[in-house]
Amino acid sequence: MGLAGEATDGEVVRAVLGGEVERYAVLVHRYRDRYARYAARMLGSRDAGEDAVQDALVRAFDRLADCREPAKFAGWLFLILRNRCFAERRRRQREGRPLDERDDGVAGADRPDGTLEQTERMRALERSLAHLTPEQRDVFVLKHVEGLAYEEIAARTGATVASLKMRMHRAYDRLRDLMKEHL
Amino acid sequence: MSLGYHPLVKQLLDGELSLADLPLELRAEGAEALRLIGAVDRTSVVLSPALDDRVMAVVRRHAGSPARRAWHWLAAPRDVELRLRLRPVVWAGALAIAAGVALLLLARTPVATPVPASVARGGARDSVFVRFVLYAPGARHVAVAGTFNQWDLNAAPLARAGSSGVWSTTLALPVGQHQYAFVVDGERWVADPAAPAIDDGFGRRNSMVAVTARGAHTL
Repeated sequence: MGLAGEATDGEVVRAVLGGEVERYAVLVHRYRDRYARYAARMLGSRDAGEDAVQDALVRAFDRLADCREPAKFAGWLFLILRNRCFAERRRRQREGRPLDERDDGVAGADRPDGTLEQTERMRALERSLAHLTPEQRDVFVLKHVEGLAYEEIAARTGATVASLKMRMHRAYDRLRDLMKEHL
Repeated sequence: MSLGYHPLVKQLLDGELSLADLPLELRAEGAEALRLIGAVDRTSVVLSPALDDRVMAVVRRHAGSPARRAWHWLAAPRDVELRLRLRPVVWAGALAIAAGVALLLLARTPVATPVPASVARGGARDSVFVRFVLYAPGARHVAVAGTFNQWDLNAAPLARAGSSGVWSTTLALPVGQHQYAFVVDGERWVADPAAPAIDDGFGRRNSMVAVTARGAHTL
């Protein structure tokens, strides 16, 4: 058994469930940034993503006894975060506010690595992503932002590869329509 | 009118084809599609350094809450057996006492944690009584649907125990394996977090319970 920071997820989860509440900080530190980009791209801003990650980590603690496979804490936490992002997106759609108004997307306005045209295209894509369904945006972010293969997304989400492809292909068509002035 | 990408261009975007694999007449469309994907922002996102402290502050509050400790005590007894050698009326009395103990505890310490559930078990000579319990404080209506009632959303409503947020019902199930899920407010399907679940093939998770002449247990 090594230092707390080197303990496996399973060991930490069991320790927390055994009453060592402070050990949960290991999991917070380990996973706070891993899914930050996913959450930010799902919700359109870093701030909204941070709120979602924070909420997911608290919910995971509250429901830790339900984590049947402590060694797979990371995947379980991701599903909690994903559900949180879906719920937030649906709430905003009901309110007619698909994009976080505090921050016009996460694409920077003055990126040093791109032309003005490229930067504008990135921002247009970010705005367009806000018009996809949560399910379409989810698969788009996981594949094209996180770089996962369909099979990896299927393993992570429980969906079939065929259904993921169908969602993605509909997203491509929708994005082409939304982005036609920028392509 | 919207114009979708050609299926081969979609394969290009999926990384299954290269631009050179496309017929000449689709290359311009393919190049346009690649410009779209090229606009994806993959820069990493750095969260506030204060996030760790904020999470742990909430975690410490929740960990110290009597409600959480009470709920864990209540949710833990997955192995509570209500032996059905008793006559039904005696069994009902035993169940009422057990429920009374649980509800007394809950009444004193309202639970704030979300949606744990459990199945308490009992048996009978020709049927087995299975108690379904769901903690859903915000729900207006809860039912359990499964293979034992043809997934009828109205066949087995759960009763709310006061204002505790705990819903429960006891059903007599035939021997065999059964899949089930809770239905909250008539539309939200919730797998029992206290029981293993399987994919139903339609994107939902169903819980499993095995019923034998000697009792019942989750699978």
